Amino acid sequence: MFEYALSVMIFLPILAGLMLFLFPFSGGASRITGFIVSIVVLLLGIELFLGFSGTGAMEYVESRSWIESLGIRYSLGVDGISLLVLMAGTILFPMVFTIFSTRTKGYYANLLIIQGAMIGAICATDMVLFYIFWEIMLLPVFFMIGIYGGANRLPATLKITLYTISGSLLMLAALVYVGVSFHDQFGRWTFDIVELSNLQLSGGYAVLAFFMFMIAFAIKIPLFPFHTWLPDAYTEAPSSTTFVLSAIMAKIGVYGVIRFVVPVFEIELARFAILLSLAGVVGMMYCGLAAIAQKDMKRMLAFSSASHMGIIALGVFCINVQALTGCLFQIAAHATSTGVLFLFIGLMEERMQTRNIADFGGIAYRAPIFATFFAIAMLASVGLPGTSGFIGEFLIILGAIKFSGFIGFLAGTSLIIGVCYMLWMFQRVFFEKPGEDTEKFKDLTIPEALTFLPVILLIIGMGIFPQPFLKKIEPTAQLHIAEVSVMTKTVLADNAPPIALDTHQKN
Amino acid sequence: MNDFLSLLPLLIISSGAILLMLLAAFEKNRLETAAYLSMGVFAVAFFVQLLIGCGPATTLFNDVFNGMLVASNFTHAAGLIILACGFFTTMTTHSYFKVNTFCTLEFYATMMFGACGMLLLTLSQELITAFISLEIMSLAIYVLVGYDRSNIKAAEAVLKYLMLGAFAGSFFTMGTALIYGGVKSTKFIEIGAFCADNSATSPLLIGGAFFIFVALLFKAAAFPFHAWVVDVYDGASTPVTGFMATALKTAIFTVFANFLSQNSGLHGSWVTFLFYISVLTMFGGNLIAIGQNNLKRMLAASGIVHSGYLLIALVAISTEHFTGSVIAYYLAAYAAGTLGMFAALAYLGGESEKRSTFDDFKGLAKVRPYSAAAITVFLLSMAGIPPTAGFMGKFYVITSAISADQMALAVLGIVSSILSMWYYLRLIINMYFHEATESFETQGSLFATACTFILVFCVFAIGIYPIII
Repeated sequence: MFEYALSVMIFLPILAGLMLFLFPFSGGASRITGFIVSIVVLLLGIELFLGFSGTGAMEYVESRSWIESLGIRYSLGVDGISLLVLMAGTILFPMVFTIFSTRTKGYYANLLIIQGAMIGAICATDMVLFYIFWEIMLLPVFFMIGIYGGANRLPATLKITLYTISGSLLMLAALVYVGVSFHDQFGRWTFDIVELSNLQLSGGYAVLAFFMFMIAFAIKIPLFPFHTWLPDAYTEAPSSTTFVLSAIMAKIGVYGVIRFVVPVFEIELARFAILLSLAGVVGMMYCGLAAIAQKDMKRMLAFSSASHMGIIALGVFCINVQALTGCLFQIAAHATSTGVLFLFIGLMEERMQTRNIADFGGIAYRAPIFATFFAIAMLASVGLPGTSGFIGEFLIILGAIKFSGFIGFLAGTSLIIGVCYMLWMFQRVFFEKPGEDTEKFKDLTIPEALTFLPVILLIIGMGIFPQPFLKKIEPTAQLHIAEVSVMTKTVLADNAPPIALDTHQKN
Repeated sequence: MNDFLSLLPLLIISSGAILLMLLAAFEKNRLETAAYLSMGVFAVAFFVQLLIGCGPATTLFNDVFNGMLVASNFTHAAGLIILACGFFTTMTTHSYFKVNTFCTLEFYATMMFGACGMLLLTLSQELITAFISLEIMSLAIYVLVGYDRSNIKAAEAVLKYLMLGAFAGSFFTMGTALIYGGVKSTKFIEIGAFCADNSATSPLLIGGAFFIFVALLFKAAAFPFHAWVVDVYDGASTPVTGFMATALKTAIFTVFANFLSQNSGLHGSWVTFLFYISVLTMFGGNLIAIGQNNLKRMLAASGIVHSGYLLIALVAISTEHFTGSVIAYYLAAYAAGTLGMFAALAYLGGESEKRSTFDDFKGLAKVRPYSAAAITVFLLSMAGIPPTAGFMGKFYVITSAISADQMALAVLGIVSSILSMWYYLRLIINMYFHEATESFETQGSLFATACTFILVFCVFAIGIYPIII
């Protein structure tokens, strides 16, 4: 049974979701089904985490032939890169089913399908298989935003769908190009990522394919300047979907870059690393500044999430072990903190029927437990030492300074922006004078508090005692960078003198 | 004996057609019987075709037919697609004529004659045979398009199609004559041999091939010979449109690929031409489709776009190891999605197709969730979203294009499918994100429902287990 754990984790939610669609279930029954399925997946995930040995290689491998003529295989596996993303995708899901209790069956069924597809995308080690799950992931989001979203849901739905589909279709072309190049060089077909990393790509088409991949992932992350769909989609989507989008789906974008772009396009990545990391830093600042100006809490958090994705993406582009480890750690840390924050805002919206920051005030006096939980998640998101957010961001900044002092400086300073908007928002919402409506604000009920408690504890635990997590991801990060750096160093060495020369001449 | 087996499906269909034609003389026979009979004939022919299998290319009855007909794996697959299209269309028709009343027994017979022409066209490896089968097929289709004589739109459609189709037919004969002048033969294989010995660029050959291409591109609805498509598809009754869009396209692309793959010189000298045709077909089709408000017209225009993708596959075929698997797979995937779409439309369209625009289907998901889900699956397959058949089809087409060093064509194909998302999504949005304004009652028969759900199954089955011939 356990050797097929990954397949079970993928297809159990998908099949359960389809079953809910096909047969007449009531909303409550589908919620319970969803809860049970997500708990089963969670248990499998924990089992898998504990059994994970962290050697750096793929574990829990499943591989069988699927489409022989093109060498496409149904192959799954987990290594240090995917482990924490996978955990984020399993740990956080049961919360959605316990907190949002009054929805129809389509809502829960879609969530289940999203979960299955996301786990599929995280575990796939065959590029085509990954692509298939990547696309399936989008469909439930489309329906969730379109059916259960806010007042302006239609434009938001179209925007996110057209954006992401354009990106993924470009990726499809690039992916086929990679496969065909492999066939030309080695005389056989394969889309297996381990084999593809042996590929030597050069020339204009390689750069084109690299950018096609990068655009697809940049849209999903979202990386500046492809972030424009994000505020609308995050704001209009129902809270659970915003949670899924920000906590896990965006991370799969970063994960995709690490898993598929870094090994195959190492030269191009090294060549454009400065440009990409600038995009990350600029996105960080831009979205951070935009977040300060927001009046709607959810929209503010959407910008904040985009801003933090900038630094996570930066961790990849620095191409060194510290930054990559930090990035992998931060993926999990940010997933827990932002995910929980979006769920909190969903709760507040359900209780107050508003998301306007100005309408709140003094909630801390009415709901102390809620305020404490919120504060912990918020501080983790800001990166306060002692919470999970600190470890990741610290490692990334460390790596960034190693990569380029300028970038590191920019990234370090723009973290302050995050503190500004978060603390200011917290002051206005939780302190100050209570408004008329906030008088009636109920604190978390016991089931709600129990639901959030493990994640809040996890946030603190990851901050104080990160070693068990770092230990599992570091070997893979080192291997991953070692493969790349040999190639990269030569290219960087080739490139460095002319750049220096140019600036010299200009001066 | 093997040759006879290869022709058996064709014989079954043609004798079925003749039998039905004779039965039509007796007033006692009911339409239902005719529908069941033709469903049965198509099913039997399909299973015979499936069972006989096919090895390498064999010339059928070389002594009698003198190399006119050649069966290969490719024609075998195309035959399967055509017969399946015929079967599903009959199912749809049965339901369609529960609410529309202009049917007579000859309708089914005509459809089977059309299928005969198509089957013969896939087998033909000689220009005059191809012409004859093309005309058998076209005549049947003309009749089917204009079957509803009281409908002014159908009359307009049949007139347009007949006039332009006649031109295309004469272009084909003209091309045949020129090629015969150059090569002294009308057999594909000898045309290929001639090109290998001499060159594919003699004036007679260029002119002849050009005229033949014009005729085939016209039938395949490629730019700039696409102007008829939207009106004709719109005017014809829904099942007929589905039949035209799938089976006819399969037959045409099969003979097209058979002709082009004969010789690399012949293929090579027309690659640039086909490249531009395919790009213009994709983008022209998209532009037309984006502007449509009527579903059938949108599907017609999207059919043009799919012809563009098939032309990509034609540009990328390898003349040395021609298997046609990419084209056959794409055709099968496209046929499953499109037929399903038309079956659903025929079922939900109601009396004299009163529900026909995007707005008419608003809120369908609230009232008929299963139908809406089925339509969504078909649309996603046409748009090429995994794990449907359409995705694998597109994947193969792009792979073949990049393998043939046609990176630009692959990228343009991708851009075109991004554009096409708009009109596929539009219907999904209308079905799911709006409130229902009516109850979508319909008196269609169970066959349409069955057909729709078998096709949903096919869309996933072909997508998840892509059987490459």
